[in-house]
Amino acid sequence: MIDIEKEAARIAEQGECAPRLARDPVNQPMINNWLEALGDEHPGYDGVAPPAMVQVWTMAGLHGQRTLDDPLGQMMTILDEAGYTSVVATNSDQTYHRYLEVGEHLSVTTSLEDVTGPKRTGLGEGWFVTTRSTWWVGDEAVAEMRFRVLKFKPAQKPEPRPEAPKAQAIRPSVNRDTEYFWEGTRQHELRIQRCGGCGLLRHPPGPMCPECGATKPKYLVSDGNGVIYSYVVHHHPQVPGRQTPFVIALVELDEGVRMLGEFDGEPKIGQRVEVVFTKVDDELTMPSWRPRADR
Amino acid sequence: MNAAIVGIGATDFSKDSGRSELQLAAEAVRAALEDAGLTPSDVDGLVSFTMDTNAEIAVARELGIPELTFFSRVHYGGGAACATVQQAAMAVETGAAEVVVCYRAFNERSGHRFGQVQTAAAANIDNSWSYPMGLGTPAAMVAMFAQRYMHEYGATSEDFGRIAVIDRKHAATNPHAWFHDRPITLDDHQSSRWIAEPLRLLDCCQESDGGVALVVTSAQRAKDLPNEPAHVKAATQGSSADQFTMTSYYRDDLTRLPEMGVVARGLWERSGITRSDVDVAVLYDHFTPFVLVQLEELGFCGRGEAKDFIRTGALELDGDLPLNPHGGQLGEAYLHGMNGIAEGVRQIRGTAVNQVANVGHVLVTAGTGVPTSGLVLGQA
Amino acid sequence: MRIGDSLPEWHVEATPTFVISTALATRDFQDVHHDRDLAVQRGSKDIFINILTTTGLVQRYVTDWAGPRALVRQVNIRLGAPCFAYDTLKFFGQVVGREQQDLTIEVVGRTAHGDHVTGTVKIEVPA
Repeated sequence: MIDIEKEAARIAEQGECAPRLARDPVNQPMINNWLEALGDEHPGYDGVAPPAMVQVWTMAGLHGQRTLDDPLGQMMTILDEAGYTSVVATNSDQTYHRYLEVGEHLSVTTSLEDVTGPKRTGLGEGWFVTTRSTWWVGDEAVAEMRFRVLKFKPAQKPEPRPEAPKAQAIRPSVNRDTEYFWEGTRQHELRIQRCGGCGLLRHPPGPMCPECGATKPKYLVSDGNGVIYSYVVHHHPQVPGRQTPFVIALVELDEGVRMLGEFDGEPKIGQRVEVVFTKVDDELTMPSWRPRADR
Repeated sequence: MNAAIVGIGATDFSKDSGRSELQLAAEAVRAALEDAGLTPSDVDGLVSFTMDTNAEIAVARELGIPELTFFSRVHYGGGAACATVQQAAMAVETGAAEVVVCYRAFNERSGHRFGQVQTAAAANIDNSWSYPMGLGTPAAMVAMFAQRYMHEYGATSEDFGRIAVIDRKHAATNPHAWFHDRPITLDDHQSSRWIAEPLRLLDCCQESDGGVALVVTSAQRAKDLPNEPAHVKAATQGSSADQFTMTSYYRDDLTRLPEMGVVARGLWERSGITRSDVDVAVLYDHFTPFVLVQLEELGFCGRGEAKDFIRTGALELDGDLPLNPHGGQLGEAYLHGMNGIAEGVRQIRGTAVNQVANVGHVLVTAGTGVPTSGLVLGQA
Repeated sequence: MRIGDSLPEWHVEATPTFVISTALATRDFQDVHHDRDLAVQRGSKDIFINILTTTGLVQRYVTDWAGPRALVRQVNIRLGAPCFAYDTLKFFGQVVGREQQDLTIEVVGRTAHGDHVTGTVKIEVPA
């Protein structure tokens, strides 16, 4: 039996590992690659690096190996041996003391701050490992990071249920008048019929505008936000493809039309919700609702 | 209208009839004809409504009805119950037929249960906005209205429960009722399980096997027949703007049943009576919340005031507006509203088990939440 | 920029190209960020966005709103559901604190699977 806490204490006592130098100094081509990939058009990153890039400079790279005194690497090895073989990052708290300029050459030191466990998590039993890193230019600390990973034993996946609920859920009929809607959900767009003549918004849709008589329906793409106008908590009887109880909400979208959908949460009339799209199969994606933090 | 209901007939109401739906229909029609003092050969018209598997010609064959000059089938299930009488009365008035029988027969408990999710109904394009989202039972569809109604008017589950208590009280003294001798308390209602919140089990009508038939003929011919006729003072259908079947959720106001408002307007105008002339109300009660909304749509109380109106005791047998003296569909049986029309006829005749004194006019409504219909029956 | 102000909702389409190019631009060569077969073998639904990119997106969301003069002082994030290829990552944000030039902004990034990231960003906006 490995005493994980004892091992953790031993590694923590070692304190900071030796500084590890970044492969390259802060440089414009890597900054540009980063900006391009993230689509960031901030005009200020000319000769200056985006703060959130700090960790990039000291990444180990394609064939990188951890140094022997790297505390995170040591702790990972110990937990691997104890059977906690999977890892997922859970927290990254970065503080930037100043912006970095092209030409500055960073190094990083890391210490083990904390190891807690074993904890039951949604992923399985595991240990949270927290490290603290400091980035240096010469002897000036320019940025710091607390980084936490969960090292866990993957939970046994439950046997798939013999009846795949989604497979037997009721499917909508689709015709010429309604296919735009289901085409939309496939593309994660919540479409509302909009009359090509007078602009009337209408849901459920139909081929002729009851307002102006035009037969040229178009649609707009809803923002997918609205409030619960009414709801039902369904208990009996069983509904194909669903586990009871479940909630169906009649949502009044911000655009002004109402629409039904399953709601994932504790419902309340007036509650703000947003649309979620769930792919059933290649032909069908269902819209439903979930609470929206009003931000 | 120059028409009257002169015969009523029914099978037993059960949970398992043990016979085919066609047999139930044939038995009910034969019973109604016997009650009317007529024979199958007198019949030249048949009317039913959708969700009945018995074809008019099949019923005619079983009964040996030789010729039909009028046959019709009204849409929208339970909403059409009173419309069958309207069809029959119009046929009689226009001379399209002389004796028309309206019928409904099904094994709704032992066979195809309407309260289950109707997977096949999802093929209807209108239903594609509800069924695939998990809203696939009548109870849940009504619950959506009820939730909003409670929110806007402060009605509670207990307010709905009072309707169930009244129906079951009336059924308790009706030997034909499934719930004969089995009244409930408000506590029973409150402790019954959720079906679709905010609806509890005891907010929902029963599921029944059985058949009911009504014989309609002209007022003149009625004079020669044995029973006191229940004259059709007015009969109308009603559908309103942006109407859907059970899911009219897209109107401004979800606390109303405007199609029942259409019916109400038509009934008062055509019958010439006013609300205060109604001696008995047979209101469709598949789910309790819509009884409250009907009371408001029909003008017996103001919007949102049904809960207070009910508390006054008005709906008791000795109240101002006795409700469903037979026990309704919560208490007697679920025959898609047709048993309620038969009760209306008995109240006019003075032969009901829970007879209300001095009944001049009976109001009968059909299924709610769907395009609907209504009747005013009266003495000559 | 006052306490309670909301940031406009921002959607990021996590295409496979996006997931891979950002992983490489952040020098993260873990296979789960660029090799679908291996990602699936490891029990994942698809390749998913790496944490350095999430940090970068949170920073971008705030600076896109605050403008180029804003200086980013801190990005604290907690990760939840992975953001897989083909997911739409929707960002919501709100100003929750202000002390003179220093603003604290809460940020949430959601996909259809749930909250991918919740975090706090501190910025300084020079007068």
